[in-house]
Amino acid sequence: MTDKIIEKVAIQTDESRNQSRRAFLKGGAAVASGVLFTQAASASDIKFNPKKAVAPYANKKEITDVLADQKSRKALGFGVRKYPYGLPSPFEREVQRRTLEWLTPDSMASITMSPLQSLHGIITPNGLHFERFHGGVPTIDPDKHRLVIHGLVERPLIFTMDDLKRFPSVSRIHFVECPANGALEWKGVQLNSVQWTHGMMSCVEYTGVRLSDLLKEAGIKPEGKWIIPEGADASGMSRSIPLELAMDDCFVAYAQNGEALRREQGYPIRLVVPGCEANMWVKYLRRIMVHDVPMQHREETSKYTELMPDGTAQRFSWYMEANSVITYPSPDFHMQGPGKYYVRGIAWSGRGKVDHVDVSTDGGKNWQEAHFTSAVLDKAWTRFEFEWDWDGKEAFLMSRVTDETGYVQPPMPQMRNLEGTNNVYHRTAMVTWRIHDWNNGKDGGRIQNVQY
Amino acid sequence: MFNTKKIILVAGITAVFAGLSACNEKLTSNVTPIMDGEYASNYVEIIKANDGKYLDSKVIEAILGKGATHGRDGLQGKLDPKNPYSFEVDDSIDGGNHGNSQCKVPMAFTRVQDSAAKNYKNDATFVAKGFGTPIAEAALEKWNITVDGDGKGLPDSSVGMTVEEGGAVYVQFCAMCHGEFGEGAKGYLALAVDEDLIASDPKDPAPMKSVGNYWPYSATLFDYIRRTMPFWTPNADYIGDKGYLGITGYIMQANYIPIGFDEDGESMELEDDTFYNAEVLMKQNKFMKNQGNFFCDHRPIIHNERCMKDCPDTMVGDGSGDIHNFVEARKLPDGTPQYNVPQRLNEAPPGVGHTGM
Repeated sequence: MTDKIIEKVAIQTDESRNQSRRAFLKGGAAVASGVLFTQAASASDIKFNPKKAVAPYANKKEITDVLADQKSRKALGFGVRKYPYGLPSPFEREVQRRTLEWLTPDSMASITMSPLQSLHGIITPNGLHFERFHGGVPTIDPDKHRLVIHGLVERPLIFTMDDLKRFPSVSRIHFVECPANGALEWKGVQLNSVQWTHGMMSCVEYTGVRLSDLLKEAGIKPEGKWIIPEGADASGMSRSIPLELAMDDCFVAYAQNGEALRREQGYPIRLVVPGCEANMWVKYLRRIMVHDVPMQHREETSKYTELMPDGTAQRFSWYMEANSVITYPSPDFHMQGPGKYYVRGIAWSGRGKVDHVDVSTDGGKNWQEAHFTSAVLDKAWTRFEFEWDWDGKEAFLMSRVTDETGYVQPPMPQMRNLEGTNNVYHRTAMVTWRIHDWNNGKDGGRIQNVQY
Repeated sequence: MFNTKKIILVAGITAVFAGLSACNEKLTSNVTPIMDGEYASNYVEIIKANDGKYLDSKVIEAILGKGATHGRDGLQGKLDPKNPYSFEVDDSIDGGNHGNSQCKVPMAFTRVQDSAAKNYKNDATFVAKGFGTPIAEAALEKWNITVDGDGKGLPDSSVGMTVEEGGAVYVQFCAMCHGEFGEGAKGYLALAVDEDLIASDPKDPAPMKSVGNYWPYSATLFDYIRRTMPFWTPNADYIGDKGYLGITGYIMQANYIPIGFDEDGESMELEDDTFYNAEVLMKQNKFMKNQGNFFCDHRPIIHNERCMKDCPDTMVGDGSGDIHNFVEARKLPDGTPQYNVPQRLNEAPPGVGHTGM
């Protein structure tokens, strides 16, 4: 996909270069003493028709009173270093991560959701990164923190933070998603906000050390087939990860979005397992044990396993399936009247890059391809946009992603038929935003989360 | 061991494919599948010839074939270790009725396999940088609290206490959140409920999972309790291995997990004066009721075409082509949406469609 984009850009650049060259020759530019310059195009060459261009503003009422200068224009603002660590404008105070207090009995084993409806592009600011703790957030002194690699290795090793930062580094943008993202919606719709339906995830740039480098440093023995990362927090989080997955593209991150990890995200170090369940991205990482079998620990048996309609359960569901959601317009907004809208959203896949995103406005009957407005990266959010002329009638907005492995995101009835509604995890089917008819009384233009 | 599962999934898959014939694309590759066994042996070539689209339905069909026994229609093929799309490998350990099944990254995920091979198996030139410090395995004893599903890492069998003594420790440190008999309290998880794992109505609350009806290994139940409990001061020295074994024994007794069967086939249960140690715990590891009901991830089982126009009814709206047959959030009498009212009134335990986080 990216290759195609680059190719396209390259062609365009060539074309425009040729065009300007033709214009140059046609314009009969003077060549004097080896200095090249072009003549300004004459007014008659301009195709832009200003009267026609502003036609949609015809019949709109003009503002006639003179605007008052705002305070900001008549007084000095604050000086440097008022905030040695900058904060968002107070007018953005509603943009925050949120939780539902009835989800969990306490705040130490709980979750918050990122405000996806207020995010732009593909990077989540560190302060808005979703949180998920199993035993609260420890405040760890990095000077005292150690990482140990042991078990079925030739040479057990212990690393300080300085040791880790001395290794070759890698910086990559990846999404991190709790497998319970969307869990509220298994048995029907619940809440009218994309923060509640899809907010258990974020996408940031991580910097760290390749896990394969560290594991090879200790020398995995041939009988070592699994790694068991473990956290230094109260939950002592532990999961079993097969060696192929660990050696593929995992890394031990010490930074997110250019600064040290936040405590909520695992300061001083966390494991990054691109494309996989966030539960495997063990935070406060202090120990990696190499073992011959999976541990069958609580977080891969009692939890993070998916109960099927027949009472059996699926386990070791590592990869997050391709998924997408429209963040504007979403139930957090209200339509502004019939007319043109640029429908925006994010798409992502735990198995690689996003290939296509299609948008339907008629409940899945017909689809049109959206275009990407961000870079298309491996196992990262991709921003899409779709130009839509809303006629003011009731509409059912859906987005559908196809990833580079050929997987096409399914509709909800199909997923429910196969996996039931007791599954809890990996609810990655499409969601539907119902746009109410503009002339539907006080509901006119309301955007509602509904489910098929 | 997967009988029920197979039937359900096969029925589901057949239903999925029934609606998809409307959109049809040709396989872009010229590579001919070599069906010399159950599956195409040249699957890597087929995937590569199709730009790595290993989940494209046509690619999958070329590799797995169309037959009812081992094709896409028969999902049991996925549970066969020889299938390149299988997450299963042979059971490695005798851990009970299903053993310690080792799931794996399927061979058909060629990108992962290639990358892992490049970074590890085929990296003959790697030389350690020497940035860390060697540490003796013995120095890690304090940190290494890991017990695996096979019981490796359990305390010596001289360590333990009677189930009755364990009950006393449980009441002191656990009962305020999990109930005196494991029935749960204050929204925290119940440890001993025997609910059926199949909800009769899809709208019913999801079945409560607890030790007796869901946990597959007693060995890692001990690991978890010692690792994380009591919640506010985990891995407590004043409880110690002895106390943690006692707590585990009490919870196992509350769940009626047998320690074996007598000559008449009657289950033998933990008595109050049974000395609960690693040996008894490992006997019970074989009798965890739900152990055989787990299977490796086999997703994605859904392989749709990317349909663009006049899509088949099965893919539209509610699955019958009706786009107006949708579900809304339930409403309170005043018309405002109802969001988990029982949870908000503390009448139901908290949770996202299940209890406990």
